Order: sequence, then C-alpha cells, then structure tokens
Amino acid sequence: MSLLSLDRASLRYGDILGLSPTSFSLPLGGGITGLLGPNGAGKSSLIQLLCGLLPPSGGEVRVFGEAPYRNPAILGRIGLVPEGDRFPTGLRGDRWLRMMGRLSGLEGQALETALGATLDLVGMTDRAHLPFSAMSKGMRQRIRLAQGLLHGSDLLVLDEPFNGLDPEGRLELMETLRGLAGQGRHILVSSHILGEVAQLTDRILLLLRGRLLAEGSVTEIRALLDRHPVELRVHSEDPRAVARWAVEEAGLAGLRMEAGAVVLSVGSPRAFLPRFQDAVARGAFPFTALSPLDLDLDAVFHYLVQDHA
Amino acid sequence: MPIHAPSLPPHPIQGQGLPAALVLGRFEVRRILRQRLGRFFGFAFALVLLVELALVYFKPMAGAGGQLLPQGADFQAGLLGKALLFLLWLQVAQVGGGLVARDTLYRIRPLLYAHPVRPLDYLLGKGMVAVGIPLLIQLPFILLPWGLSLLSAGAQGPVWPTAPLRLIPAALVVALLMGLITLGASSLASTPRGGFAWALGLVLGFGALGTLLSGLLSDPRWGALSPMALAQAWPRLCCGAPGDLGWFPTGLGTLVHLGFWLGVVVLRTRPAEALA
Repeated sequence: MSLLSLDRASLRYGDILGLSPTSFSLPLGGGITGLLGPNGAGKSSLIQLLCGLLPPSGGEVRVFGEAPYRNPAILGRIGLVPEGDRFPTGLRGDRWLRMMGRLSGLEGQALETALGATLDLVGMTDRAHLPFSAMSKGMRQRIRLAQGLLHGSDLLVLDEPFNGLDPEGRLELMETLRGLAGQGRHILVSSHILGEVAQLTDRILLLLRGRLLAEGSVTEIRALLDRHPVELRVHSEDPRAVARWAVEEAGLAGLRMEAGAVVLSVGSPRAFLPRFQDAVARGAFPFTALSPLDLDLDAVFHYLVQDHA
Repeated sequence: MPIHAPSLPPHPIQGQGLPAALVLGRFEVRRILRQRLGRFFGFAFALVLLVELALVYFKPMAGAGGQLLPQGADFQAGLLGKALLFLLWLQVAQVGGGLVARDTLYRIRPLLYAHPVRPLDYLLGKGMVAVGIPLLIQLPFILLPWGLSLLSAGAQGPVWPTAPLRLIPAALVVALLMGLITLGASSLASTPRGGFAWALGLVLGFGALGTLLSGLLSDPRWGALSPMALAQAWPRLCCGAPGDLGWFPTGLGTLVHLGFWLGVVVLRTRPAEALA
C-alpha cells in the first residue's frame, strides 16, 4: 500500500481544467514531499483531491489505499493546513482548536490530552488562549499547524505555509516540519518557491498548468538549470568593459547591451560565476550589481516545457 | 503503518463525542451567547414579554368587573404578535445572516469539509441554530402567559388551555421560515454584515412586492409573497382568527419560500462552492 496514489486522476471546475489526468504515487515511510508549481499550476486542485474536498472528475485518487472523498476513516488520518491567514478576529485559539478536535471525533479527556500535547509540540501552550486578533502571523500559523496535527494525522498537507511569514517564522516552521518528518509523519508541502522547498526536502513533485511535469529530487531539478543558458544582468558604470571581458570567457552563449547594464547568457552559471567573482575581485571592470533573470521556478518550468516539447 | 516515535503525541482516541452537526451548532450558540448585541435583544424581548403578561391580567379585567374572562382567537394569536415578530426578524437576520457568511469570509468551510464533516452535517448544524433560536425565543411568549392564565383562572382564563397546541406548531413554522430565509441570505453574502443586509433586504423586498401586487391586482393573497405577512398569518390561522391570508396562500407561500431558500443554501454550501 502506498501513502497516496493517483491513477489518471483529473479535476474540473465546470469548464475549467484544474488538474489534467495525472498519475503518480508516493510510498509510505514518512518524510517531506514538496509540491511545487507557480500560481495556477494545479497545486491546490491536487490538495483538494488528496484531502477529499472534491471527488476526481476522472480517474482515481487513493490515500492510505482508499478513496478520501467522503471517507471519514481516511479524512481522520489527514491534517490539512490551508493557505491564508483569515480567522474570526474575536475567537480564541484554544476554542477554535477544541471545535476542530471535536469534529474529528475527540471529546473529553482525550481531547484535552491531545490539545495539550499538540500545543506543546508547536510551542503555543502559553499563548493558545489569546484571541486570533492578538496573535502574530507566526502564532496563527502555529495554531493552524496544531489544527492539522491535533487528531493525530498520519498525513499532514500544508498549502503554501510560508506565505507571509517573516524569515524567523519560516525557519521556525521549517524546523518544526523537519522534526515531525523525522518522527515518522508524512508531510506534503505546497509552494511556488523552489528555494523554500529545497531547504525542506529532496523529494518534489512539479506541476504546471494542471499537469504533473516531473517528480524527482531537487538536485535533478537544479541540474536542469545547468543544461540551459541562464541570463545574468550585470549593472556597471562601464557595461562595455564587462562585455569585453565576457566575450573572452568560455561558456558565454550570448549578450545584449542595456542602459547601464549588460545581460550575459551563460551556459553553466556554476562554472561561470566563480570566474566572474575573480574578475570583480581583480578589478577587471567596474561592477555595481548582479541579478539573475531566469533562475527562478518559472524558468525551470519553462525549460521543462521545452524539454517535454 | 507508520511508526510513531515516543516523543510524538500518542494517537488520540477518536470516534467519541457529539455528531458533527451538534458540534457546529454548539460552537455557534456559544459564540452568539458571547456577543454583546444579545443583551439588547434580550432586554427588548423581555420588555415585550412583560407587556404580554400584563395584558393577560389587565386587558380582560377592563370591562369585566375585575374577573379574568376567556378571550377570543385574536387574543390567542396576539401572543405571537407583530411587535414580537418584528423584533424576532431583526434578531434572526443579525444572527442567521452571519452563520454562513462568516465561514465564507474566513474560508472555514473547506477546512471543515477536510474533516469528517459532510455538507449535510454543516447544513444541519447551521440550520439548528438559525431555526432553534427563533423557536426558543417564541416559546416563553406562548408558555408563560398560558401558565399564568391557568394558575390564575384555570380553564376559564384569558389564554385557552389548548393554546400551546395551536401556537407551538405555528411558532415552529415561523422559526423554519425565518431560519431558512436568513440562512439563504447568509449564503449569498461574503461577510456577516452583508448577510444581515441581505436578510433584511429579502424580507422587506418580498414584503414590498407582496403589498404592491396585492394592491395592483386587488387580491390580498399576493401578500403571501411577504415572509413577514406569512409569519403573522400562521398564529392567526392556527388559532382560527380571521385574516387576509387563508390556509392555501399561506401554506403555498411558506412552502415556496422554504423550498427555494433551502435550495439556495444547499447549492451555496457545496464543497465545490466553498472552494471557489
């Protein structure tokens, strides 16, 4: 039995295709899986299928070997931490969590024990009695996480959990997720930022325009960047001097001049950037700033689409 | 099966406690009881109830040499009178208007449906609150005057001994009407204030339409379009008091409203709608 499996599962919202027929499976055994894709890629559609919010329009979805839609036995094993930061302002965190626990079939001493243990796990024992309006964004995120963990979920699904968190909050959340994964939980984290997921896990699913484009390790995805030219914008007081230096370097695929900058197209940024750094240190040309133009996830998707074509 | 390390909380025992609909209903009731606006409505309803109780004594005594006399159907129907029903519409619009809209605003429904909560559980939970509150508020207005009348003058008192048998079914229909219309209004809105505005707008709008058509077509039965007129008609019909609306237009108007607004709520709280 696998943790989750999709067999040509698709999801339509009326005429709009949320997820094209997709097949993949993830094994049991705990750990974190990243669900990557730009906005509108189909991440939320996939999460809705996995969490049993909607039935697939076609194909089959199985979580822990069973269809999750309207299946209380499976829904009780999944903890969803949805995207967004909206809570009823006057409501207290512990009251909210108690209601969610009761909806999952907890009551009395079992509820209080689970609540205490979960709040301890997310570090909110002393602050859960506060109303949501008095909590920081990071605290509300912890309460959301506690809500997903309260009923002892075996699979924790987080939809864009890092959105809006400050760097400290992100690090804290990453630490918590790593700790949970290390103790045997299965965690699925959706994000549109490769760097965030790369810090968490080496197992990722890539989605674009409702299609699963690739599944594999972050290393494999990064390798894609090395196979395609990457554009680097170099800001300088003398862009022509930068261009003169660059044309003599190996690995330059092309360049174009801009006002106050030159855009270099390089075949392998990993090989090129150390040489560039040396040249700057030697004072080979005046240098102001360097910014990569297509090192983000969208560029990876673009390359993947090209490869698939 | 996954192996849980000792440092993780143990799997809690599930499958205990109340059904999901009751959990949702209880949560809403507790939230409503914490609201400050409830004190205003509590005071207003208490005032109306005191006036009603005073009438049980003083109105019959006015021309009867100090003794309590049995009263007619108008008096019985008046226990669920216009003042009470108007206040009740306001209160139900305020409470019911926010029941679904609040969940829409804070995107709570997708999260609920990710738990073992069916759309039917959600509807039952919200419906119990929207219908239960107006029903519970109406009950003292029936039972206290009835009890006072029985204690004061027995079967010959101003309130008929059979009055609860007539008025409680009427109160139930009125509560259903109020609850479903306000839930429907709430499901159309994206904020609790919007839900309140929708509820009042629908009640007053259908009222105006009913009055307009009654006047234009010279047929009072068109008044059955108005939820307020329907709510006033049921106690009168159940007590046999004369009124503009007969059984057929009142029953048909009520059924149309209940069916239509139930359909609206069901459609607007589907999981697909909650995720939109």
